[in-house]
Amino acid sequence: MLDIGGDNLFVLEFGDILHYYTPYTATLFLVALIFTGLVIASRPEKQVDIAFGGDAYYAKETTLSEMRFRRFMAIACGLATMGAMGSGDLFNFTLFASLVGIANIGIVAAVKSRHVLDAAYEYGIVAMVATLPLFGGAALILATTGTLSIPALAAGGFAVPLVGKAFLALGVIGEGMAPFYAAKAEMFRAPGAPYVIMCSLSSLLIFLRVVEIVITI
Amino acid sequence: MLIITRISRILSNFQNLVALFAGACIIVSLIGILSLPLVFEGNQLYPKSQLDPASGLYPYNRGGVPFGTTEVICQYPENSPYAGYVTTYLTPLSLYLAENTLYLGTTIVAHPGGIIDEILYNTRGADTVVETSILFTAFAIASYLYRRREGE
Repeated sequence: MLDIGGDNLFVLEFGDILHYYTPYTATLFLVALIFTGLVIASRPEKQVDIAFGGDAYYAKETTLSEMRFRRFMAIACGLATMGAMGSGDLFNFTLFASLVGIANIGIVAAVKSRHVLDAAYEYGIVAMVATLPLFGGAALILATTGTLSIPALAAGGFAVPLVGKAFLALGVIGEGMAPFYAAKAEMFRAPGAPYVIMCSLSSLLIFLRVVEIVITI
Repeated sequence: MLIITRISRILSNFQNLVALFAGACIIVSLIGILSLPLVFEGNQLYPKSQLDPASGLYPYNRGGVPFGTTEVICQYPENSPYAGYVTTYLTPLSLYLAENTLYLGTTIVAHPGGIIDEILYNTRGADTVVETSILFTAFAIASYLYRRREGE
């Protein structure tokens, strides 16, 4: 076992499903927690476009109902990210990762802007398809080792197949679009700053977490 | 043109995203096929040995006595002193469907109360909570988008 997370600080038990916090995952958890707090407390930005060379400008209005829905989705995304950070069970982690993916789509789904929705549509297709490698990876690991618990797998004695880990990483890449932000950058052009940044932050955090899982097990 | 410029130009167009991801999936799947055979571990923590096709709850019927103790393997026995396979907590409609038809197991999300009638291992309760949250998040998005037209 290659221990990159450090010793357990705290273990939360739900039957066979453990949530454990090492210095590494606790840091990621705190980042998600702080940002969720910011999302709850802050008001959305108001974008203003200025016509160059003149006095004309136009402000983009975000309606109240749209703002409330997007804040709700951003909070759901933050909670899912926090869950994924601490989860000590592979299947539970994949569930949280897909919840992050669907909440990301929800954050931008309310925007009435053509290019944003185009990008969100492409991202949505990838996020849907990515559940296949995500859950397939967890299923492969369960079938070849007989257990799903990350601490048990990390303790050694199991031959975790490399392709299972690769599928898991691929699934998270698809859910969060983690290294390729092409569609996300397009989605960020949606007005309403703190909420759209939640998309980016959550995918970064679940990617960092899956790297830890893949190295540990 | 530099090769990195060319690659970043392809990556920056989100229309190529699905094709790129599909390509990555194909490559990893090919590696997976080449690494076959993977050995199935016989000593499973969650075995599927009690399947009974004649049951209305197939394939989710776990048996066991609600609130009772049934012998079951678990990862952390100290966390679940009363662990067991449990099929329990059906709403009256679900109970009726389970007793009279063979299809409740496959329509678990397709009838009222079905989502909360999830039948799982006692030891994996958090799974049920997260699965239900995913479904409710999806329903929330769909209902918001559907009802948005009313405000216009």
